[in-house]
Amino acid sequence: MSPEVLHPATLEETLAVLEAYGEEARLLAGGTALVLLLRHGLIAPRALICLEEVSELQSIQFNEDHVWIGAMIRLQTLARSPRIRALFPVLAMACGEVGNIRIRYQATLGGNLAEADYASDPPIALITLDAIVWVQKAEGKRAIPIAGFFQGLYTTALEPCELIVGIQIPYPPPGARMAYLKFRTRSAEDRPCVGVAALGVFEDGICQDLRVAVGAACERPQRLPEVEQLAVGRSLDERVIRLIAQGYADQIETLSDLRGSADYRKRMIEVHVRRALEEVCNGHGAIGAGAGR
Amino acid sequence: MKQTFELRVNGRVHRIEAAPDRRLLEVLREDLGLGSVREGCGIGMCGACTVLLGGRPVSSCLLLVSQVHHQEIVTVEGLEENGALHPVQRAFIEHFAFQCAYCTPGFVLSAVAMLEREPDPDEQVLLEYLSGNLCRCGSYLNILKAVRAAAQGRRLHSS
Ligand SMILES: Cc1cc2nc3c(=O)[nH]c(=O)nc-3n(C[C@H](O)[C@H](O)[C@H](O)COP(=O)(O)OP(=O)(O)OC[C@H]3O[C@@H](n4cnc5c(N)ncnc54)[C@H](O)[C@@H]3O)c2cc1C
Ligand code: FES
Ligand code: FES
Repeated sequence: MSPEVLHPATLEETLAVLEAYGEEARLLAGGTALVLLLRHGLIAPRALICLEEVSELQSIQFNEDHVWIGAMIRLQTLARSPRIRALFPVLAMACGEVGNIRIRYQATLGGNLAEADYASDPPIALITLDAIVWVQKAEGKRAIPIAGFFQGLYTTALEPCELIVGIQIPYPPPGARMAYLKFRTRSAEDRPCVGVAALGVFEDGICQDLRVAVGAACERPQRLPEVEQLAVGRSLDERVIRLIAQGYADQIETLSDLRGSADYRKRMIEVHVRRALEEVCNGHGAIGAGAGR
Repeated sequence: MKQTFELRVNGRVHRIEAAPDRRLLEVLREDLGLGSVREGCGIGMCGACTVLLGGRPVSSCLLLVSQVHHQEIVTVEGLEENGALHPVQRAFIEHFAFQCAYCTPGFVLSAVAMLEREPDPDEQVLLEYLSGNLCRCGSYLNILKAVRAAAQGRRLHSS
């Protein structure tokens, strides 16, 4: 039987219908993932709650010390927004690498995060940016640091009847250099076999802060703080870069699928972490414009 | 459990009865007889089902009819103006940018969407907009020639 489709106009209405239907309802954002699940009979909800008209989820706001991205913002908007590209080039790059142009015009950031597919691009970038996911249900809202939002394959910290309202990202330090590398093994529009995001802050060639996230090769995107620390207080010469790349390859528990075996992925992690770090410190990485307007 | 939807397609309003989870692709093809909208992969990869939704190129195989009511939908049937083909359509003919033409409507709409936003596209923009459409006959070279020519024509026209 086909589900009923509801069109709430406000967040309050959305939370009320979520409560009323409980686990029998599914949220519908862009639909690029959900429509396939419906068609393949993998889900059969009694109601679909369409978020298209929920006004609170539709804006990007540049605040004093962070940007706010509503859950319904399309990936193409993030890939193309001049201010997102200037402030958070790693996010714009990761969103611009997703699937194809039609997917990017239809898919939303909230839907991408909630789907929690291990082979997604935007989450990898958001982890290097220390983003915070704001979620809400009828009882109230809470902030979840993005690293804890992803709990495993297709599993998130979202509770029943809870939705993502938006993502908050602190401005990185001015001059932070960022890179996103997507390694595909099958075709130009495929999901990644390995994705690597990196962000580095340098002063007179000395690394002050380094953040490296690896995803798509493992159950959820990850950073390794002890390995990142190897860079701090040093210049990122070839030896340090190799040490860090090796650290990620050794410590990340990789998985096997049609895009590559676990062993192959370890080797590709090493190669792509190294390349991302080279981009970040050799000046080819994109430079974040830093805080403020 | 059918519902009534008002769809705005190619400048006309259509009232249709459909299950709310019927895909836009099927509504356009089967209920409105717009045969230019084609199903290739059915999973968002090939672009044969491309339509413009509020000017954005999207896959109609990944949209439910209930997601799109009230928004303007354009298919290639709606590109003609006063009986004249759209410049992108003319460029496809002039450059023989097809063999079987199964992929053509999707490519034409992707190119139209691109030119609406990027009047002066470089090669990177061309690939950004066109690389998501697949052509099983491999007419890519002529397709790119046609789209470059259409962009060039537009530049001449506007200068
Ligand atoms: C052909 C193709 C290629 C792709 N390639 C890539 C790729 O290269 N890289 C990549 O990262 N991704 C890729 N994707 C996946 C795509 O990015 C996701 O399908 C998309 O981001 C999901 O967003 P949506 O708005 O369409 O979500 P929907 O399909 O509407 O929803 C997805 C899930 O999230 C839930 N949901 C939606 N919004 C919220 C919310 N606000 N709060 C809580 N739950 C919510 C829904 O209930 C559903 O379970 C590809 C998809 C396709 C079809
Ligand atoms: S049929 Fe929709 S993209 Fe292939
Ligand atoms: S011309 Fe045949 S698929 Fe493109």
